Amino acid sequence: MRPKRAAVWVACVCVAQFVFGAADAAEHVISLNLCTDQMLVLLAPEKIAALSPLSRDPSLSFVAPQAEQLPVVRASAEAVLRLHPDLIIAAPYGAQTTLALLQQEHVPVLRIALAQDFAGIRQMTRLLASTLGVPQRGETLLIAMDALLEALPHPGHGVRALVWEPRGLTAGPGTLMDAVLHAAGMTNASDGSRIGLEALLRHPPELLVVPTAAAYPSLATSLLDHPALASLPRRAIPPALTICAGPFSAAAAAMLAR
Amino acid sequence: MIGVSHLSVTLGGRVVLHDVSLEMAPGEMVALCGPNGAGKSTLLRALAGLLPEIGPPEPCRVAWLPQGARSAWGLTVEQVATLGRIPHRDQAVAPVTRALQLCGIEALRCARVDRISGGEARRAMLARTFATEPEVFLLDEPTADLDPAASHEIMRLLRTTADAGRMVVIVLHALDLALRYADRVVVMADGRVTADLPAEQALPAAAAAFGLPFGTDPAARLLPPC
Amino acid sequence: MTLWLALLLAILAALSLLIGDATLALPDGLIFWQLRVPRMLLGLLVGGGLGLSGAVLQGALRNPLADPGLLGITGTAGLGAVIAFYWGLGVAFPPALLVGGLLGAGVGSAFLLGFAGRAPSGPSLILAGVAVSAIAAALLALALTMAPNPFALAEITFWLMGGLADRPLWQVALAAPAILLGGAILVSLGRGLDALSLGEETARSLGVPVARTLRLAAVGTAFAAGAGAAVAGSIGFVGLVVPHLLRPWFGERPGALLPAAPLAGAALLLAADMLVRIAPLVLPLSAAPPVGVLTALLGAPFLVAVARRGAP
Repeated sequence: MRPKRAAVWVACVCVAQFVFGAADAAEHVISLNLCTDQMLVLLAPEKIAALSPLSRDPSLSFVAPQAEQLPVVRASAEAVLRLHPDLIIAAPYGAQTTLALLQQEHVPVLRIALAQDFAGIRQMTRLLASTLGVPQRGETLLIAMDALLEALPHPGHGVRALVWEPRGLTAGPGTLMDAVLHAAGMTNASDGSRIGLEALLRHPPELLVVPTAAAYPSLATSLLDHPALASLPRRAIPPALTICAGPFSAAAAAMLAR
Repeated sequence: MIGVSHLSVTLGGRVVLHDVSLEMAPGEMVALCGPNGAGKSTLLRALAGLLPEIGPPEPCRVAWLPQGARSAWGLTVEQVATLGRIPHRDQAVAPVTRALQLCGIEALRCARVDRISGGEARRAMLARTFATEPEVFLLDEPTADLDPAASHEIMRLLRTTADAGRMVVIVLHALDLALRYADRVVVMADGRVTADLPAEQALPAAAAAFGLPFGTDPAARLLPPC
Repeated sequence: MTLWLALLLAILAALSLLIGDATLALPDGLIFWQLRVPRMLLGLLVGGGLGLSGAVLQGALRNPLADPGLLGITGTAGLGAVIAFYWGLGVAFPPALLVGGLLGAGVGSAFLLGFAGRAPSGPSLILAGVAVSAIAAALLALALTMAPNPFALAEITFWLMGGLADRPLWQVALAAPAILLGGAILVSLGRGLDALSLGEETARSLGVPVARTLRLAAVGTAFAAGAGAAVAGSIGFVGLVVPHLLRPWFGERPGALLPAAPLAGAALLLAADMLVRIAPLVLPLSAAPPVGVLTALLGAPFLVAVARRGAP
């Protein structure tokens, strides 16, 4: 999806789902999704009633250290209700039954579509910041992000890079990592399809972008270390920066541009 | 010489052999007779060296044929007979051919053992023991699947073998064959040897072991016409 | 006949080097040596090991349904390998994967042949094998659920259905000595297996050390099939099918099958692996299916046919 359309969609989805008036900001907010967890911690940690358990996983979450000090809750309606939240933030998909139950109990639910590019990140940050009653903090984060992006080099001819994830998944046009590659001044060699090891070697990119090595192996993650790839230049990025979009995504671009 | 002396064997908690002694010399054919469960097969196993109390087997010297011998695979008659060469670690053709001829099954050498009649398969199994060229034959019911003519043919073969200086011990249910062809008949009942006599004297003791009536009337005797 | 088999195998091996993921061409050096050659070598070794183990197990257990997969040996090997791999033991000590597989296979083998000693060959043995297989698969799934890496559970299809793709050359080199050692042990058992055709007691009376023969069959299978399963997962039915394919040509004497069995097993596995690589070109598949899928699809009807033939 192209940036403009994505931004419009984010707005429509939120307007359609938003039940709470902007005047009275929420005080006990629960996030049920890793990506919204991270935004919540960055914007308004004092308003957090609970986060999802994944927020504490350092291999997945950018805010894992902070999340250690914060309560977590599993996405069951009962557990969530017991905390008496006045706002639930979640992704557009997942936990359908739980959220339906919560809406039945008249708990406000905000479904945020996950951003896929920097324009989307700006939209999402501003929307969340205003919902939570902390618009200034949102702006602060975005100013920092934009400063980082400005500082990155913008060469005329970009390095042909490919984001290669376990099981041969690649980041095609319109995805978050595609935006990160462009922000780092590179071109994306992927068209979004999965490619196996042999196909990768037949048309190798100039740079291979892979997630950093997992603490424990699996066949999928150790494939990234196959000897056949030894000659390809590579950059490793922590998965925490590639899974969810947020102001921190600029850090991913900065790591690549270095 | 082979034999056992004062052998007692317990299997699965049951006393199968009780203080059994038996000796044989080359050139002898000994028949083991008695009712089912008397311990005849166990004694034969002991002589073959297959019981932990008496072992190990002497495969080049002693050939053992169990009751109801069967092949797990569809081997040819010739392949079954060639298994008898395993103790000698060779695949010598001459002894195998001779064994097949002796047992009267050479014409079926390429036939599969599971596709011929029971009697023919039994001959093939017997040929395996001959292929080993042993000094001692320990055979458990070798004539079981054979018709009367064939039974006599095999018994004559075994008689000739014994006369040539081999030792033959044969478990038989057919008293008539035992009394006619063996040198000695060892009668067993309930794990004990009840009689060990030359064949011509053994009939009363053998009949007694089975609890059968015994009379001097030739018509009642168990000997078939020659 | 053995020579024809060897020739067929050589042709299949050469063809295997030409087929990549959905292309048929001679590739450049890197792809050839790092991807195609390991894959072909692994197919040779694993297929050979499985074919030979199947032939030996059928002879040793006097059962035409015996197979290292059906009897749970490749399953326990996979379990051992999974425990060693996913908990990072292989990071510090690369052969850990292989050792785990061999230990697992050893446990499965020992149990099975111990069981075979008590119960006569026949359906009870196969049932015991099925039980071992089922337990191994369940524990494998449990291990993968508990594994620290989140990708682990999704990889269960590899371990249960096998795969020759993308295994690095060093893993193939690790498994090779173990498989070859197992093969050497198994090939030496011909005389014993022939004697066992007539039953265990008759074999003993022929001077064959039956207990030692069965133990060596267990050890040889653990090495030949277990090492393969540690690197390529549980590929089923090759060991079952190979002896049956060979018997019409080589006769039913167990020892006669032993030289040809590894050749036939390797040929079968390479052929199956080529077919799964070509499959996405012909069928609407997004990726090549695991090779175990094909061997199961071909092998399971075979199993039914053999079982029915044996039934009274």
